[in-house]
Amino acid sequence: MRRYNLNIAGYNIGFESTVDGPELVPSERFLRNISGGTECEVLIRIHSGGITLPGGSEKVFDAPYVEEINNIRIKKSDNFWSVFKNQSDLFIRTIFPLSSDNRSGILKFSLKTKEWDLWIEGTGKAADPMEYPLDGLILYYLTVIHGDIMIHASGVNNTGSGYVFCGVSGKGKSTMAKLWDKAGVRIIHDDRLILRNTGNGFNMYNTPVYQNDKPAESPLNRIFIIEHGNKNELNPVRGASAVSMVIANCIQHNWDPEIIAGLLGSVSVMCSKIPVAMLRFRPDESIIDHILENEGGL
Amino acid sequence: MADLKSVPSRSPSIVTRKTGNEYVLVPVTNNIADMNSVYTLNETGAFIWELIDGKKNVGDLIDALITEYNIERETATSDAFSFIDNMSKYLIIR
Repeated sequence: MRRYNLNIAGYNIGFESTVDGPELVPSERFLRNISGGTECEVLIRIHSGGITLPGGSEKVFDAPYVEEINNIRIKKSDNFWSVFKNQSDLFIRTIFPLSSDNRSGILKFSLKTKEWDLWIEGTGKAADPMEYPLDGLILYYLTVIHGDIMIHASGVNNTGSGYVFCGVSGKGKSTMAKLWDKAGVRIIHDDRLILRNTGNGFNMYNTPVYQNDKPAESPLNRIFIIEHGNKNELNPVRGASAVSMVIANCIQHNWDPEIIAGLLGSVSVMCSKIPVAMLRFRPDESIIDHILENEGGL
Repeated sequence: MADLKSVPSRSPSIVTRKTGNEYVLVPVTNNIADMNSVYTLNETGAFIWELIDGKKNVGDLIDALITEYNIERETATSDAFSFIDNMSKYLIIR
């Protein structure tokens, strides 16, 4: 393909290969997000080869390559992806650690423009412009632009009511999703969600992570900050405590005070409208009844 | 170590948001490893935070606490130094 659109979490992202650019081959996990039409809110042009960052570019944010094995984070390399700033232009320079060859990429973008450029080096004739880690990075900066929230959380929809379970690795997001799945409840995702203010409330959306992910969304009615415990226990959290507990689970690049202020604002509004609770849980089906019996009192 | 004449000031690398009578504080950082540090100030912490302007010294903060909350000087002194020590540890004030 030379051009296609993806609709992820309601964001319509266009991808277009330039004349000298590679053939675009989205990986399987994105195929169900391909949407028709040519209208998009951000168009990413893909070029083959690399560029040199403009002089004066300042590195503002840095991520090492960390692999997680059995909930233990192991740093594999200092060199993964970095964000650079040059006036209003931003650049993400990254390697693609899951690719079989030594590819690297540079995304040039801005929080104010709708046309971005991506150079992929070492790609040969075909490339997926949303190859890990660019997928998460592009989606993250779209949430920044739109004042939305990207969060480490699993989410379910139980007969119309949406529950989000936030927690970093090891807190029980996947366990919780499996328990609800076993009970026949619709799972939005078990690891990462985008939360958006619709004006009439908040919605949660999945993002393609696994090969079999299908686009899914749900209204958001309750937020739970989870951790494993010896018994099931639900305690409401309000005000600044709720905001800080939710924000601690958000995906965030806190190099820019304006980005931080935007996220703080969005999370504060959400926590003023959606009840938040601390949830300690035993990893068995009893937690589902416990939530359904007690969530009305939040 | 702060003393009564120390003049604390807020770090410019902190973004704050007031929620009711409390504050949420998020540090600016350039590394993903530090990005989920978030701090909350309760009502008393928020009161002290709002007084910190790089001009008032610790003695002034203690006097203000006594006036606002009608508490003993010993309690106010302990609260003020505890707040300053904690916030300094996390580089939120200096």
